[in-house]
Amino acid sequence: MAIDNKVTYPLDEAVDFVVIGSGSAGGIIAKELSTNGFSVVVLEQGPFREAKDFTHDELDVWVDDAIGGGRAASNIQTFRDDESKVAKVKPGRNPARYYEGVGGASVHFSANFWRFREIDFKERSAVGSFEGTNLADWPITYEELEPYYTKVDWDIGVSGAPGPFDSPRSKPFPMPPLPIKSSGVLLKKGAEAIGLTPQAAPLAILSQPHNGRPACINCGYCLGYGCEIGAKSSTLAAMIPQAIASGNCEIRAGCAVYNLETGADGKISEVQYLDPDGNQRSQKARAAVLSANGAETPRLLLLSESSRHPDGLANSSGFVGKNLMMNAHANVQAVFEHQLNDYKGVQVTQIVHDHFYESDPTRGYYGGGGFTARPLMAATPIWYSLVGQRADGPQWGAEFKDRIAHNFTRQMAVVASGTNLPLDRNNITIDPTHKDKYGRPSLRMTYRDHEDDIANVAYMQGFAEQMMEAAGAVEQWSPPAKAGTGGGHLLGTCRMGDDPETSVVDRYHRSHDVSNLFICDGSSLVTSGRGQPTMTIMALAFRAAEHIAAAANNNEI
Amino acid sequence: MTSETLSRRHFIQGSGALAGSSLFRLSVPAALAAAQAACSARDEGATFTTLTAAEAVELEAISARILPTTSTPGARDAGVIYFMDNVLGEKFAFMLPGVRDMLVEFQQGIADRFDGTLKFSDLSEADQDTWIGANDTTQFFSVVKTLTLWGFFAMSSYGGNKDNMAWDLIDFDGHGAAQPPFGYYDAQYMEEQNNGN
Repeated sequence: MAIDNKVTYPLDEAVDFVVIGSGSAGGIIAKELSTNGFSVVVLEQGPFREAKDFTHDELDVWVDDAIGGGRAASNIQTFRDDESKVAKVKPGRNPARYYEGVGGASVHFSANFWRFREIDFKERSAVGSFEGTNLADWPITYEELEPYYTKVDWDIGVSGAPGPFDSPRSKPFPMPPLPIKSSGVLLKKGAEAIGLTPQAAPLAILSQPHNGRPACINCGYCLGYGCEIGAKSSTLAAMIPQAIASGNCEIRAGCAVYNLETGADGKISEVQYLDPDGNQRSQKARAAVLSANGAETPRLLLLSESSRHPDGLANSSGFVGKNLMMNAHANVQAVFEHQLNDYKGVQVTQIVHDHFYESDPTRGYYGGGGFTARPLMAATPIWYSLVGQRADGPQWGAEFKDRIAHNFTRQMAVVASGTNLPLDRNNITIDPTHKDKYGRPSLRMTYRDHEDDIANVAYMQGFAEQMMEAAGAVEQWSPPAKAGTGGGHLLGTCRMGDDPETSVVDRYHRSHDVSNLFICDGSSLVTSGRGQPTMTIMALAFRAAEHIAAAANNNEI
Repeated sequence: MTSETLSRRHFIQGSGALAGSSLFRLSVPAALAAAQAACSARDEGATFTTLTAAEAVELEAISARILPTTSTPGARDAGVIYFMDNVLGEKFAFMLPGVRDMLVEFQQGIADRFDGTLKFSDLSEADQDTWIGANDTTQFFSVVKTLTLWGFFAMSSYGGNKDNMAWDLIDFDGHGAAQPPFGYYDAQYMEEQNNGN
């Protein structure tokens, strides 16, 4: 697991950029800056794992969260659903879920790669304001981001085919969709039967060899697992090797940042971190790029409070950490007569958008979304046996066992994923009591979906039920749509905008307050999209890197 | 040898003895199940490193009602108790004190309800099911159920899922490359596409 860095930089000489985090955004920005000749140090708190280090060990990966940050028992975060309450440690998995290691969450995601549409960027103008929310237009448009979506398609590697509702694209997909699975066939059948228009799922998983990487072998271990052949288009597979090969990028894994230090000029002068042995280190830099994810980025800014920045760094707006959005979800479970064997292959091969995507005031609430067909829990045995059973069915005993045995290969899910309204009350702050495994004050999540978020996915759930019935399900059930208590889509907590009073970074991801600090990751998103945010995070990262490089070349950092 | 370090052979013998002592309470199928319990060790002669023999007997008995042996294998057949012994000593050692305390609590009340019988493992299967039914919303049952399912379906290297029998039970062979079609419906779809339908 050693990193074959081609360069090492001394701590006390300023590199051009310190990039904090190596995930969907950080991995791209590090690659783009280093291959354009800038000296880059990447600080990644997790380890460096190569494709060969990934396993199918469900107990280790899913139960023990070994490649995430670790269960709450070993790495404390806290959660509460209302700011009036004392946040508590959740049993089991932590509320802010991510992959901890080089490549970030792009390593373990399902790889659904929907582009946002034009409407996502100007929805406030289209649907109006909602009292008590921070719904806003983006400072950029789909047209401005489109070239970078295309760059993701080709440089990162996206499989797919154009859908009837997609926004315009300047270039075709670089490769066709992955083979349709039984869950996809059944969604397609059910959707068409009720007059909807299913389409092939765009995925950041290679259906053909691309850019020197192999095609997917359909092992089925996508959701929550690292790809052992590098067919999943993580930044670990698609960007980090090029960053290292540039000879300008040093990746320091196992290095947990605890403070961004500013000088008398108010600019970041150095980045302080714990090295893998727990020693305090500090790297001088001309500029910093913060891409630690939508939960860790605001935590780090809040941890970097000082007399010059008493409310946390880059937080004159008070918006650091606020507007947390995780995409509301609901699902329908369906069992069919014959075996789907949906544990094989990628998670999703068919999706449905239709009229669900856009918010419709006649429904009486704000919100939009889309459907995916997938095994979900029926991808792996432990998860399925623990979570994939209907709540009103047997929970132990012979019938319980028989249902698991019979249904594991016959069960699928239709997942409705949708929007969240950005709210002050949903946020990331610093826990006053607990500490994480590095000794830093713990991340505290406060979260309760807006009632519109729940109404939207509940509405969609009804259509999912119709689709599964039309597809011939012999049994189906719908777990109640309810507020989330954690998730892996960590969005909106350092939103971009033109107004320094209502946003944290400008349209080019530069902090309004700290001129040599750039922030780009899920925290940058102004709205939540319809449930698949990583494609947009990566497109933003390519765009941000271009502007950051231009600024550096013009001595504007 | 300490009480915590009994060999698996001793455990097996112990299971038989315990079953024998309470045979008057067992129906014939239950007696057979108890005898089968004596065959549940994955590696005879190996050592229990975490659980006492008494704890192992009780936890295995509970797990065997969660996933009973029927015409298909259950928790006992898959060696789930050896999984528990393993992970409660290492990977999930933080759970052990709670499991121990709650096991004692779980046993309390059995004597009052079942005519002086002290241990869950001494009850007939029908009575065991009755007792679980009265306790299946407790944290303890939830923990043992979780451990049982982990042990049944986790990789056999953790101690349970003997010979991958749990994966065979659910028809899961998902650890290698696969080629479509994967299931009935995509095969049918592919055939229709090939036939131009």
